[in-house]
Amino acid sequence: MSPRKDGSFLVLLTLNVFSLGSGDVGAADSALSPVGVDSPSSLPESPELTEYCSELLHTFSQRYEAYVGCLIPAARPVQVCRNCSSGYGDLVKVYANISSDQTGPSNVSCKDSLLGSDRLMVVSALYSNVEGLWKSSKCEKCITKELQGPTNSTLYFMSTVSQTLSCFVKYQQGNHTELCKNCKSTYRGLNELYSGMENNDTLCIDLEDMMNMTRILWSKDFGCSLPREEMVPVIAVSSFMLFLPIIFYLSSFLHSEQKKRKLIHPKRAKSYASLMNIQDKMS
Amino acid sequence: MANITKKVSWSSRADESGAAGEGTPLLNGSEQPRLSRQVRLAWWLTERLTATTPEQSEGGSIFQIGRLSTVDLEEEITSDEVKPELETLFLSHFLDYDNIENQLFLEEERRMSYLGFRCLEISRWVVCGWIGFLTGLIACFIDIAVEELAGFKYQVVKENIEKFTEVGGLSISLLLWAVLNAAIVMVGAIIVAYFEPIAAGSGIPQIKCYLNGIKIPRVVRLKTLVVKVCGVICSVVGGLAVGKEGPMIHSGAVVAAGVSQGRSTSLKKDFKIFEYFRRDTEKRDFVSAGAAAGVSAAFGAPVGGVLFSLEEGASFWNQMLTWRIFFASMISTFTLNFFLSIYHKNTGDLSSPGLINFGRFEGDSVAYNLYEIPLFILMGAIGGLLGALFNILNYWLTIFRIRYVHRPCLQVMEAMLVAAVTATVSFTMIYFSNDCQPLGPEHAEEYPLQLFCADGEYNSMATAFFNTPERSVRSLFHNQAGTYNPLTLGLFTLTYFFLACWTYGLAVSAGVFIPSLLIGAAWGRLFGILLAYITPNSWADPGKYALIGAAAQLGGIVRMTLSLTVIMVEATGNVTYGFPIMLVLMTAKIVGDYIVEGLYDIHIKLQSVPFLHWEAPATSHWLTAREVMSSPVTCLNRIEKVGTIVDTLSNTSTKHNGFPVVVQVLGNEEPAKLCGLILRSQLIVLLKHKVFVELARSRLTHRKLQLKDFRDAYPRFPPIQSIHVSQDERECMMDLTEFMNPTPYTVPQETSLPRVFKLFRALGLRHLVVVDDENRVVGLVTRKDLARYHLGKHGLEELQLAQT
Repeated sequence: MSPRKDGSFLVLLTLNVFSLGSGDVGAADSALSPVGVDSPSSLPESPELTEYCSELLHTFSQRYEAYVGCLIPAARPVQVCRNCSSGYGDLVKVYANISSDQTGPSNVSCKDSLLGSDRLMVVSALYSNVEGLWKSSKCEKCITKELQGPTNSTLYFMSTVSQTLSCFVKYQQGNHTELCKNCKSTYRGLNELYSGMENNDTLCIDLEDMMNMTRILWSKDFGCSLPREEMVPVIAVSSFMLFLPIIFYLSSFLHSEQKKRKLIHPKRAKSYASLMNIQDKMS
Repeated sequence: MANITKKVSWSSRADESGAAGEGTPLLNGSEQPRLSRQVRLAWWLTERLTATTPEQSEGGSIFQIGRLSTVDLEEEITSDEVKPELETLFLSHFLDYDNIENQLFLEEERRMSYLGFRCLEISRWVVCGWIGFLTGLIACFIDIAVEELAGFKYQVVKENIEKFTEVGGLSISLLLWAVLNAAIVMVGAIIVAYFEPIAAGSGIPQIKCYLNGIKIPRVVRLKTLVVKVCGVICSVVGGLAVGKEGPMIHSGAVVAAGVSQGRSTSLKKDFKIFEYFRRDTEKRDFVSAGAAAGVSAAFGAPVGGVLFSLEEGASFWNQMLTWRIFFASMISTFTLNFFLSIYHKNTGDLSSPGLINFGRFEGDSVAYNLYEIPLFILMGAIGGLLGALFNILNYWLTIFRIRYVHRPCLQVMEAMLVAAVTATVSFTMIYFSNDCQPLGPEHAEEYPLQLFCADGEYNSMATAFFNTPERSVRSLFHNQAGTYNPLTLGLFTLTYFFLACWTYGLAVSAGVFIPSLLIGAAWGRLFGILLAYITPNSWADPGKYALIGAAAQLGGIVRMTLSLTVIMVEATGNVTYGFPIMLVLMTAKIVGDYIVEGLYDIHIKLQSVPFLHWEAPATSHWLTAREVMSSPVTCLNRIEKVGTIVDTLSNTSTKHNGFPVVVQVLGNEEPAKLCGLILRSQLIVLLKHKVFVELARSRLTHRKLQLKDFRDAYPRFPPIQSIHVSQDERECMMDLTEFMNPTPYTVPQETSLPRVFKLFRALGLRHLVVVDDENRVVGLVTRKDLARYHLGKHGLEELQLAQT
């Protein structure tokens, strides 16, 4: 430990001891500071929150609570865009005030004190969490600019979905083939509308979820997917195709003439050693 | 006659047992030399049989006619342990990587100033920059063309399938797909088979041969490049199990050979620049730079490209050359990157190098642990085995193709059939697959096919088959765990393995890199999934195992070492996997080499080119230059009669390319003293310019022949038939002193084969004169004399020479 650090620690300690002592003394004769040491914010020299900032923080907390309280019930089936967009709009406004560089009435900017004065950064962490949810939900695609309500295309889509669903309900009883046949046109219309909106990029999580549910109902619950019913022609055509190369290779094996290579015998010096060897053997 | 010769030469092993007991000074009775003696004996018998022919007995003539004989190969196959016709070497031409230091050269060097040399150095850099730029552009062109055309094709087929899924009649979609594939591949196969057969395949074996010093006709021509580029686009768009990366290497090499010459003989355009580089030595340096640039563009791996050239290419290297090659590679990646960024509409974003983009491995999947190392080694071994299987199957298939499918029309038909069957198999797999997966949030699947899946889901088999191969590789690497079920992957691996094996060697230009990676990625991912089943906590990220499997499979097939490791590391942009990839490639190579050679080596062997490997075959030290060389040699006198030269050159049966120049021979029998070496190409230029002694005397304003005249004729020297020499001129004399290489490399007769081999390999020699102790020419060693020896199962074996 360096001596300087040592010294400052000592100073702190003494200060603390002094304040404890003075508190004791103060409590005895007057109610100068009722909360005493427990709330350092009340110290006059404290650099902590101004009134304006704590007010902002309070608003933020209220709106955040409201928004989250709206989000969670709307999680399943997903209705976050339809129900909670206005809450998000309010939250954004407060946060914009907090994070702006503009100073409040007491000439203090709350940006530093609220957002960046500690390691945890609760406010900005919570906000970015919500912001991420908002972004991935793509709610701005199906809600009007002022975040007041759903756009016309969203409303139209929702009515189409409810038409389809009512058709499902109508034929739900009994044989599902009936349902598949009768609701096909409505369902297909819905599908086309959906893919059209997909291309226009006017889909948000609400609509996607609705569509998903409808599709699952249609394909899984009612089993209206297309059946695999033409095995025979496919097998026939593909085995014919697979048969072609066999014919090709066989015919080229049988009918094509082989390539011949002409061998060349290079000139070589006679190898005397082996010549001798052979002659020895022969004699 | 020839049949007898050959049979005797190969099957004499049975009756030589009596000779084995007698030791000669060379052979000391151990097992290895005994085996090699069989070769000697067989060889001697061949000699005996050929020596009785009348041509051989008139040994005094200047040139001798090698005897030609036709061998019926059908019979060959039936003869006992002899492998079929492929155990032969073609008589091919070679490149002169040795500098000819004749008087003209010395004069030119003397004339050149210091500044001139500096300019040369700078122009080398400029050439390399251009090579990189143009190679990158070509890569970019191929990429965009493939993307657009394949996108169009898949869109058409997809719409058709969607239509018929609903109303029935999917067999029509199957036919449409097959016919579309076959039609596109037909275009590619026709241009390859009819216009430029050398552009078939990946081109890597050809470039290896070129850099090794074998002159493969038309391999670096502009026409080849055009056919190659169009061919590769057709074969990838046609849905074959091929990649576009291998051909990039060939394309880079062609670009290099073209740019460095400063002219195009095909277009008959001479820019009159870079004339100094018009010879084999300089051209080879640039070709290796071009190959490196090709690799670098293909994989976004500049260092890998340099190492590829190093590993496969030139035998001598210096620091400056490496640095220049690296420059070319860098420029090539940069160019590709830049133009692709424009195409993808984010100009200036230079972060997607290479044709193939493995995508980034991020987050947790990057980590690997010590206990995974044995698993990686196991995967390497599997890769080696599968690679060897691939190579063996492809070897037999290629033999069949060489024998029976050699006519262009048959080759085109074969390619079309493969394309149609590939489509059929893919369709059938997709049709019968029950593996449905929900659509991903960010639509990673380019062409999702729903078929019989529930709405909002797609057929998982279709992501693997209904896509260009490299997209499939990427999705195997990066899709989250659970995207593929094991059955799908297993079936896919199996079918794709056979399809890829069947496809390689067709008469289409296409590479084997991507199919290998795809096979490996598929079984690697399968391995990872199974591992995740049997282990409690999921540390086995399937994407990681897909990458390792891909490396193992590729290493098992092509058997490249250092360069492949670096290429993989660079292509994934991830150094963390360096060690596992290296381990895997090493294991794959060891296991694979134990069974069979690498794919490229097999194809080089099947092309029957006299390829010189790094080392002479082991156990060949007892062979001396005297036994290896060709003899007697056709020599020319220092001052030779034009008629003799013309006759020598136009002798169609020998086609010698280098002629030792000797001092005046008095008696015919005695070998003459060596004073230089002259090449056929030089003689042809001399004849063309009529550099005769008599003419020089009579003509006062005689322009002296310069090195430039030789360079202008390079590399397509006219054949001797096109040079007209009148009857009077035949009587003139030609003085070769100025033009011959006065200091050719020579060896004494007793030099061992490995020593000779080393000279050839290290110096890039083409001819090596064998002299006796009085510097008299006794023989000439050329590449074909060395390349015919190889180490077989029965010791050293000798290959037959055949005519192309």
